[in-house]
Amino acid sequence: MVSGTLDNTRVRVVTERLLQTRRRGYLRLLKRFVHLLKQENAKHSAEIESAVPIPADLRTLVMDRLIAAYGPRVTSSFAENPGLIGGMRIKIGSDVYDGSVRFALARLASSLGIPAASLSGGLK
Amino acid sequence: MYALALFFAPDSGGQIQQIADTFGVDWPHLIAQIISFSIVCFLLQRFAYKPVLKMLEQRRQQIAEGVADREKIRSELAQTEAKCHEIILQANVQAKLLIEEARKSAARLEQQESQRAIAAAEQIILKAREVAAQEHTRMLADLKREIGQLVIQTAANTMGKVLTIEDQRRMVLETSERLAPVA
Repeated sequence: MVSGTLDNTRVRVVTERLLQTRRRGYLRLLKRFVHLLKQENAKHSAEIESAVPIPADLRTLVMDRLIAAYGPRVTSSFAENPGLIGGMRIKIGSDVYDGSVRFALARLASSLGIPAASLSGGLK
Repeated sequence: MYALALFFAPDSGGQIQQIADTFGVDWPHLIAQIISFSIVCFLLQRFAYKPVLKMLEQRRQQIAEGVADREKIRSELAQTEAKCHEIILQANVQAKLLIEEARKSAARLEQQESQRAIAAAEQIILKAREVAAQEHTRMLADLKREIGQLVIQTAANTMGKVLTIEDQRRMVLETSERLAPVA
C-alpha cells in the first residue's frame, strides 16, 4: 500500500518473490494474498445498476460522487437491469445504495407483512 | 202409732178395748201377725233389701265410676284435643318457619344463580368481544396485506411504464446524493 492505495508494482514484486522462494506453504500464502487483493479491489469497484441507461452527464456525476466518497481508485461498471423498475442501485465493497423502485416496493411489502416471494416477479 | 199411743195411755184401756171390739181385733191373732210380719220384714231386710241395696250401691258406684271415667275421659280428651291443637299450632308455626326459610333459601339461591349467570354471561360477552376484536384485527391485517399486495403488484407492473426519463433521472440523482464518504 502506498498512501492508502494499492500499488500494482509492489503487488507484482511480492508475487514474484513468493514464487521464487518456493518456501514451505507458499501456495497457501499466495492464495491468501490473492484473496486479500480481491477484497481490496472490491472495496474500490462499484457495480452500478439502473432500470434505464444512465445518460453520460449523470454517469460522470455519479462517478464524481463515488470518487469523493471512496477515493480516486474507484472503478465502476454500469449495467442495465429493468427488474429495478426505476432508479439506481450501487454496490461497492460491502456497501449497497439501493434507490430502486423494486427495493422501495419490497420494503413497503415487508412493512405490510407481505412476503416478497408472494409477489409475482418476487421483489427481492 | 196412734193406736199404740192409745194402747199405752193410762186411761185408754177401755177405749182401746172398745175400738178393738168395734173393729173386731183379735189380739193373739194380731200379735201373731205382727210377729210373722216382723219375721217377714227381717227376712226381707236380710235377704232381699240388703242384696238389692248392695246391688244398687254397686250399680251406683259403677255408674259413679262410669261417670268419673267419662269425666276423666272427657278431660283427657279435652287435654288431648288441647295438646293436638297445640301441636297443630306448633306444627303450623314450624311449617311457616320452614316455608319462610325455604323461601329465603330459594331467594338466596336464585340470587346466587342469577349472579352466577350474569357473571357467566358477562364472561361470554367479554370473550366474544375479544374474539370479535381479534377477528376484526386479523381481518384488517389480511385486508391491509391483500390491498398492499395488490397495490404493490400493480405498482410493480405499471410503474416502469409510467416513469418518465425525468423521473428516472431524479431517482438516480437522489441515490447518488446518498453516497457517503468512507469513515
